[in-house]
Amino acid sequence: MQIFLPIADVPVDLFVLLILGAAVGFLSGVFGIGGGFLMTPLLILLGIPAAVAVATEANQIAASSFSGVLAHLKRRAVDFKMGNILVVGGLLGSAVGVEVFRIIKSYGQIELFVSLCYILFLGSIGTLMFLESLSTIQRSRKSVNILKHKKKHNWIHGLPFKTKFKSSNLYISAIPPVIIGFIIGILASIMGVGGGFILIPAMIYILGMPTKVVIGTSLYQIMFITAFTTFMHATQNKTVDLLLALILIVGGVLGAQLGARVTVKLKAEEIRILLAIIVLLVCLKLALDLMMTPNDLFSITYGSES
Amino acid sequence: MRQLIFAMIFLLSTLSFSLGSVISDVDKSDIKLSTRFDGTSLLVFGAISPENDSTSLLVEVVGPSTTVNIRKKVRIWGIWVNKKIAQFQDIPSFYQISISNPEHPLLKEIEYRKLKSVFYDFLNITSISEDGNSTKQYYDELTRLKKKLGKLSTFEEKINIIDKKLFSYKVNLPKKIHPGIYKIKMTLIDQQAIELSKSEQSVKVSKVGVQEFLSSNSKNNPVFYGLFSVIIALFLGFTAAQLFRWLYR
Repeated sequence: MQIFLPIADVPVDLFVLLILGAAVGFLSGVFGIGGGFLMTPLLILLGIPAAVAVATEANQIAASSFSGVLAHLKRRAVDFKMGNILVVGGLLGSAVGVEVFRIIKSYGQIELFVSLCYILFLGSIGTLMFLESLSTIQRSRKSVNILKHKKKHNWIHGLPFKTKFKSSNLYISAIPPVIIGFIIGILASIMGVGGGFILIPAMIYILGMPTKVVIGTSLYQIMFITAFTTFMHATQNKTVDLLLALILIVGGVLGAQLGARVTVKLKAEEIRILLAIIVLLVCLKLALDLMMTPNDLFSITYGSES
Repeated sequence: MRQLIFAMIFLLSTLSFSLGSVISDVDKSDIKLSTRFDGTSLLVFGAISPENDSTSLLVEVVGPSTTVNIRKKVRIWGIWVNKKIAQFQDIPSFYQISISNPEHPLLKEIEYRKLKSVFYDFLNITSISEDGNSTKQYYDELTRLKKKLGKLSTFEEKINIIDKKLFSYKVNLPKKIHPGIYKIKMTLIDQQAIELSKSEQSVKVSKVGVQEFLSSNSKNNPVFYGLFSVIIALFLGFTAAQLFRWLYR
């Protein structure tokens, strides 16, 4: 069934969108990832303008992360103080990111910019994931080797503005969380991702937070940042397509619930390689689109841009 | 049936109106762009009283104005980058012209004159690229791209003429059209392309329902629209969490 998206200004098939939403939601349920980094480029490949894909995906992530935060709140697995400091950095990052986005958009180059960011990003994430899964599979075939993460003193502990994070049992400077939050805010606003795959490792390895509060706290920050990013994109760039977001939210929620329930039945590492391959394929497609000689060198756009 | 009745009325009225004139009507006066809009067609019909056999009828459909940018892909460091090379300011987003007599001797000239007056006169050149594009090239690209998108057609659609007095003409509008006023202009011309008589109809194309609510608020009340989008997302996130907690209790 075909529907016309009011802001994206393109006709799309409703079922294709629902299935896409459910498929990405399913993957996020299986792997515990947000899925924004897959959804945004897939929307672009479907013909949704890049600026709309990014802003709308931020809107969808606001919904899915809120739903996730609620589950973690029940388990008291959110470090609010850390979360709030991350949010402060994130709001700044998002505001800066949306402004950069607006400027590039006014030059008519936002498609190129978003594509390049994604090629860089998916390329590195996909490669890392692929290599890591390969080595894990090899390792598991030989012997079980458990790596222990020890708390160690590094440069982080030499920074000023130290404060106590009770839930995380930490006494560290507030500067690193602000910077990490800032980077996540930039990523959310220019790429339409939650940024969990960077935020979570950063919380564990840089901040040294205990694993039990990491996911809840990251969702807490992501919810605020994506909600704020949605608002900023809506007011600065007018690129949030609420109808598209609604369809993706519905598809995503169903897919994620399904994904979260089948996890146990699948062999995680082998599926992870599959995910890595999907990520690399999307990356390759975006790169080819930029490099191959287009069929038509000329195109038209509407409205005034500089 | 309705067409037939209208046709009869027109047939009767032809008796009274003078030579070399045209009267017309359209089968709908407004088109609603809903979320389910998938293109539509308009039927224009009316009566003409040609002076002689060499009188031809021109029908033009002119959509609301927009600014159109022509972009050309150029290769920079191995990747193709869009470069804006020209702009046509406030030109019809949709334009279609047809003639009852495709053998009219001045057909090419009429086509050029019309395209010039609706499109070509509004060109702003923004950059002359290295290979030195001429204004003629911009005209050709605009015409080619517009035709490719189904937003332009010149003497491709047929006007049905019945008994040299009645005409009917079907306009197919693509699924992606700009809202606004669409003007349908009927002109009687002679062999020298001199205008004898004119008649004009207009059709209002507007967004409705969800389509109208979202696109107008996004443009005119961005603060409300932004807050609304966030609230809807959070509400749905909350509902989903509650629903699944309840389902898997």
